Amino acid sequence: MSEMNNERFDDLKDAYVLGALPEEERLSFEEYLAAHPERQAEVDELGAVAGLLAFSPPEQEPSPELRSRVMEVVEARRVGGRSTFARVGDYLSFRSLALGAAALLVIGLLSWNVLLLDQVQDLQGQVENAQGQVKDLQSELEVARAQQSQTIKLKGSWAEQGAIAEVASMKKNQIILVARNMPSVPEDKTCQIWVIKGDVPKSSGLFQPDENGTATPISNSIRKADVIAVTVEPAGGSEQPTSDPVLLAEL
Amino acid sequence: MAERGRQYLVLADEDLISLVEVADAEAFATLYDRHSRAAFSLAYRMMGERQASEDLAQDAFLKVWRGASSYRADRGSVRTWILSIVHNRGIDQIRSQASRRRTQEKIEASAPRSQPSEAFAQILRNSQRDQVREALDTLPPEQLKILELAYFSGYTHVEISDLLGLPLGTVKGRMRLGLKKIRDYFESRDAAVPR
Repeated sequence: MSEMNNERFDDLKDAYVLGALPEEERLSFEEYLAAHPERQAEVDELGAVAGLLAFSPPEQEPSPELRSRVMEVVEARRVGGRSTFARVGDYLSFRSLALGAAALLVIGLLSWNVLLLDQVQDLQGQVENAQGQVKDLQSELEVARAQQSQTIKLKGSWAEQGAIAEVASMKKNQIILVARNMPSVPEDKTCQIWVIKGDVPKSSGLFQPDENGTATPISNSIRKADVIAVTVEPAGGSEQPTSDPVLLAEL
Repeated sequence: MAERGRQYLVLADEDLISLVEVADAEAFATLYDRHSRAAFSLAYRMMGERQASEDLAQDAFLKVWRGASSYRADRGSVRTWILSIVHNRGIDQIRSQASRRRTQEKIEASAPRSQPSEAFAQILRNSQRDQVREALDTLPPEQLKILELAYFSGYTHVEISDLLGLPLGTVKGRMRLGLKKIRDYFESRDAAVPR
């Protein structure tokens, strides 16, 4: 077999992406590719073209039994007894949010919301999803809250009445406000989140208190902000706060 | 539980695969439901019979379950990645078998075909499939045949050369031209090659 070089690489790349190289030649090709990463992009591009062939066969329906068999194996191998959201916490830890197991749990919970929220344009839909999760996971939140240190607890008149509201930093500067035990507000009112820098408040999200809890993404960065506050505003929100904060935290 | 199921449905494949990394079986089930038909269709095209195809699809999906962390978003979509696993495992299996099927294919390959793209002749159901089909229809039969033998049947370029009685350089040239023609099809329509 000829030694691999640039010319030979070019000669073989089409067969490579089609899976048509004999084993020895394939290994030689891949060694060369590993040593010349600048050629990876063209191989990927060519591979995408070859990969289109995978879409071309006539459709065949797999049997339901296949799904059962696959899921049986998967269920047997999954991490036993752990919640989805606890495992999401592990996922985040792999991405350098090594905040301790309990903190990961909370961030995992909240990150789950963000993952969802990335997919849903409608903010109200996002909040509803988050509410469902918060309801399911209140006990985990309690445990995590007692131990974790990456969230900011909001104070204020509602907190004194028993409301629990926390802001958590997420990866990529995403932040989210989780609130429970909030007093209800009239239908023509809404809670509005403000990120305040100096004297300038920026509207950063709306939510409707819910007995099961809410999780709301905060749409402005808090990195250089001074205060996060929540006020009760007319439905649809206000351009500027029109009432005193019911919850706030100095950053 | 049903509520959570709905939540998974709104997640993108890339988010689901991240959850599969941490052994989230529901996320995996959602991915399976989205892509099992395409995966099985490819497996069936490669293996030619139902049981072997299901075994291949099962094998591939369990590799997805165990190896989700090896998915690289910059290299293509999750769907393409899953299909590449099916393809690679299928090639491995085909090559490990001294099967009657390949002997049979050898006979078929040596016989002239009035419609070499017969394998793609069924009506395709979605737009991507239609696009790919259209692209493949632009290929001369001799190029398509070689791509099929390589991609679906696991023949190496040397084996195809022997099988069809063509010089190896001709086989390589047809592979190159065939792939180029597919790419040109998309470029001529200002469309990116689906990934």
